[in-house]
Amino acid sequence: MSTELFFVQLINGLQYGLLLFLIASGLTLVFGVMGILNLAHGSMYMVGAYLVWYFVAVTGSFTASAILSAVIALGLGILIERVLIQRLYNRNHLDQVLLTIGMIFVFNSLQSILWGNDPYGVAVPEALSGAVPFTDNSSYPVYRIFAALICVAIAAALYFLVSRTRLGMLIRAGESNREMVEALGVNIKSLYTIVFAIGVMLAAISGIIAAPMRSIVPGMGESVLITCFVVVVVGGMGSIKGAFVGALLVGVISTFAAVLMPTMSNMIIYIFMILVLLVKPQGLFAK
Amino acid sequence: MSRITTLASAVLATTLTAGFSTSALAAAGDPVKIGIMLPFSGIYAQLGEAGRDGLKLALKEQAEQLHGSKVEFIELDTEAKPSRAPELASSLLNQHEADFVIGPVHSGVAMGMIKMLRGKDTIMIIPNAGSAAATGPLCAPNVFRTSFSSWQPSYPMGKVALDKGYKKVYAISWNYGMGRESLDAFEESFTAGGGEIVEKVLLPFPSTNFQSHVSDIADEQPDAVFTFFAGGGAIKFVKDYDAMGLRGKIPLLGSGFLTEGTLQAQGEAAEGVMTGLHYAEQLDVPKNQAFREAFHTEYGHYPDIYAVQGYDAGQAIASTIDQLEGDISDKQAVISTMEQLTIDSPRGEFTFSRAHNPIQNIYLREVKDGVNVVQAVAAEALEDPARGCRI
Amino acid sequence: MIFEKRTERIFLAIFFTIALCIPLFLEANSFFVGKVTTILILAVFVMSLDFLVGRVGLVTLGHALFYGLGGYLFVILTPEYEAVNFWVYAFYILGLNALIALVIGAVVLRTSGIYFIMITLAISQMAYYYFFDSLEFGGNDGLFIFMKPETSIFGLSFLNLDNPTHFYYLALLAVLVTLLAIKVILRSRFGRIVEASRLNPERTEALGYNIFAFRLISYVIGSTLAAYAGLLFALQYGYVNPQFMTWEMSGTALVMAILGGMGTIYGAILGTITYEGLLYLFEHMTQDWMLLMGSAIILMVLLLRKGLAGYLEKLLEK
Repeated sequence: MSTELFFVQLINGLQYGLLLFLIASGLTLVFGVMGILNLAHGSMYMVGAYLVWYFVAVTGSFTASAILSAVIALGLGILIERVLIQRLYNRNHLDQVLLTIGMIFVFNSLQSILWGNDPYGVAVPEALSGAVPFTDNSSYPVYRIFAALICVAIAAALYFLVSRTRLGMLIRAGESNREMVEALGVNIKSLYTIVFAIGVMLAAISGIIAAPMRSIVPGMGESVLITCFVVVVVGGMGSIKGAFVGALLVGVISTFAAVLMPTMSNMIIYIFMILVLLVKPQGLFAK
Repeated sequence: MSRITTLASAVLATTLTAGFSTSALAAAGDPVKIGIMLPFSGIYAQLGEAGRDGLKLALKEQAEQLHGSKVEFIELDTEAKPSRAPELASSLLNQHEADFVIGPVHSGVAMGMIKMLRGKDTIMIIPNAGSAAATGPLCAPNVFRTSFSSWQPSYPMGKVALDKGYKKVYAISWNYGMGRESLDAFEESFTAGGGEIVEKVLLPFPSTNFQSHVSDIADEQPDAVFTFFAGGGAIKFVKDYDAMGLRGKIPLLGSGFLTEGTLQAQGEAAEGVMTGLHYAEQLDVPKNQAFREAFHTEYGHYPDIYAVQGYDAGQAIASTIDQLEGDISDKQAVISTMEQLTIDSPRGEFTFSRAHNPIQNIYLREVKDGVNVVQAVAAEALEDPARGCRI
Repeated sequence: MIFEKRTERIFLAIFFTIALCIPLFLEANSFFVGKVTTILILAVFVMSLDFLVGRVGLVTLGHALFYGLGGYLFVILTPEYEAVNFWVYAFYILGLNALIALVIGAVVLRTSGIYFIMITLAISQMAYYYFFDSLEFGGNDGLFIFMKPETSIFGLSFLNLDNPTHFYYLALLAVLVTLLAIKVILRSRFGRIVEASRLNPERTEALGYNIFAFRLISYVIGSTLAAYAGLLFALQYGYVNPQFMTWEMSGTALVMAILGGMGTIYGAILGTITYEGLLYLFEHMTQDWMLLMGSAIILMVLLLRKGLAGYLEKLLEK
């Protein structure tokens, strides 16, 4: 592999990793704060992609559609938490697993009923449709650079939210001590609702950003779910920083594996995860 | 409570029919039972629905040729899951006693179905799954296919590539039956004519993380790229290829599924892609125009290749019933009648080979303004070699 | 009495009575006998999972690995066109599977909790991709088993596996044996230590027991039972496919176990029958069966705190 190609692949890997981080961040946030293992997280990614496709088809504006879809996802998150998740806080993890598997069925079915089963694509917004020359033979699409920047911006915002704001303080406190937060006079119920809704919105935003780069098809949620779990477990469940590092590692490793040993590349991230867990049974940044 | 009772009695009712309706063989006057085993949920759902709609349209159009036979459909969702295939096939065979079973899309499911139906009295018609084995080593008198073998759309493309002067081709697909067989078929004719495959990449299915390979192609600078991808993967590959600036620089060739039912989602990225397939939507055959209009009137949208294949399965059934004057009780007669059929398909007329795979034209198409435009007939009346078939 | 609860005894009595009689009322070749056979085989698989998850405390999302392996090992070990002896080969396959489970268990049991879930999932996905990508094992198309094994013991043959009714009883026997085996294990000293280490690992460890070893042995037992179920399933239709070992398969089994009532063992049978029954019903009702199935699962989680078995026990126990 030439040095030039090496750098191209490195950037491919980082860009893929950043997108993985965005999807995984909501999953790890919800697990870290609430202890909920949301298997339907991938479905929220799917919902984001389908919503933005639908609104772009109706309105023609990507920006407006993206904002509208994200807001709807936030509302959906609040609704799901209030109607379903809230009832399970005192139950064991397995009941949560079962509930969220039920939700996967429902969302897949609703997708088929509402939007049909044709594969769809969203055009890259006009302003971002160009490409910058990269090497002699290839160029790098502007939209992908933009998507990577958005992911970095959201990562920074999330870091700021958790470490610098009052909500973040409550989140950190709620992770370690539920009673203490309640004693502070904060309604832990509302806190949980907000956190869950943010988690859903993060997944949906990933779907929105990915929509112009990927194809929008039934089952797209499940296919990212497992990769996401690998990311989160490698980083350490519940750790945002861990998810960030884990996502970049998984992104880069799977990109290079895809070129260097294509037939093995499906297995490589699992092998990587097993190795990590053997050395650090709680992931890289366990609490 | 009343809802539970209803549910319970429904269970009981199905159970009873399941248990006690199995004895009498279909006599003349009984409805013709057509079991449909296609995916209606999951990633292949669109293909399943199109196939079913085409099938139903054919039988509706030809209702008068059925000599008074009524048609009854039993639809089962395979979810494209091989583990459920034998059980569902058994349901159609033993519980519903279907005369014909149409399915599936997924070749792993096809294996499970063939295991159950091979050598039985039910005629199985495959309206999509292209796996070589189905009309190869596992071919059987009662198994027909109205679609294609994976070999068919790709083999002629080797010669097409040579004619265009490409000497070095980068081949890429998924590492599963259809992908491997497509690349092998291309390689067979391409290397026989002196071409060279500079790299043959088989990606794990259904990974769509193509970016690194597209970068690799840019680095390698082959004369052309040959590929098999379908559905969501096809959309992603063509878009990635374009996004990395390769469109217009390195020609992209493929098995036709690369641009079937995906053009709208691919948009401009698909312009100029050249593929081989046994059909094209704009194919200038009178039957095609009639079919497209009829399909549009019935369902409100235009049909795709999967609908055509389902439609031809329906035509095969209708013509067989017609020629036997409504009496399909003798399965041997049904098989030999079907073997002799010439199907007036929207893709042009075709007949069945010895192994029951269509002998059909493969067209070279190029995407222009979002349409697969037929450039030439890449291979006329192409017959799958049916390696390993012993009937 | 190894069945402590009244509900358990009533359920099992009704279940085995009906199950024994089913073939008497149905034609051997009917779809229904085959369908119930599949459900029985699945029940064995789900019971083995219930044992691991509910009693040993090992929540695995990779159990289907062994279900798939049971079938694949048969295809790999037996000659293609020669009928082998079922019992002999079942012994080989389960022994080999136990060895594999021992190695895998030694690795995965180093983690716990959610990490255990994920590492088991990772290993089963690796095996899935291995078989999916392998040409010699049929890749994504899977493989056929052309010859069904014969089942003679010392020259006497009672069962003909080509006869669906015989196969049905073989599956029913597997349910009975699995149920009894798990019950006996749980009541033994071994079983009590295993359960103690689930409820209070620190104390059990302090008492001088090597928890790791107990868990590892349990993991091997659970995996071997799963492989037996997988072997039967592969033989029923003569067909193996890598999809048998996906995480969706493990997930579905977990759903059945939780629905039935985690850790009750007999609940696993109940959960399997209910899940498969609902699936059959909904699939024949509408193309959008997923919506009904998903809603039914959600409703049952919300309404039944301890699964179906828990609900029955509330009605029948004082």
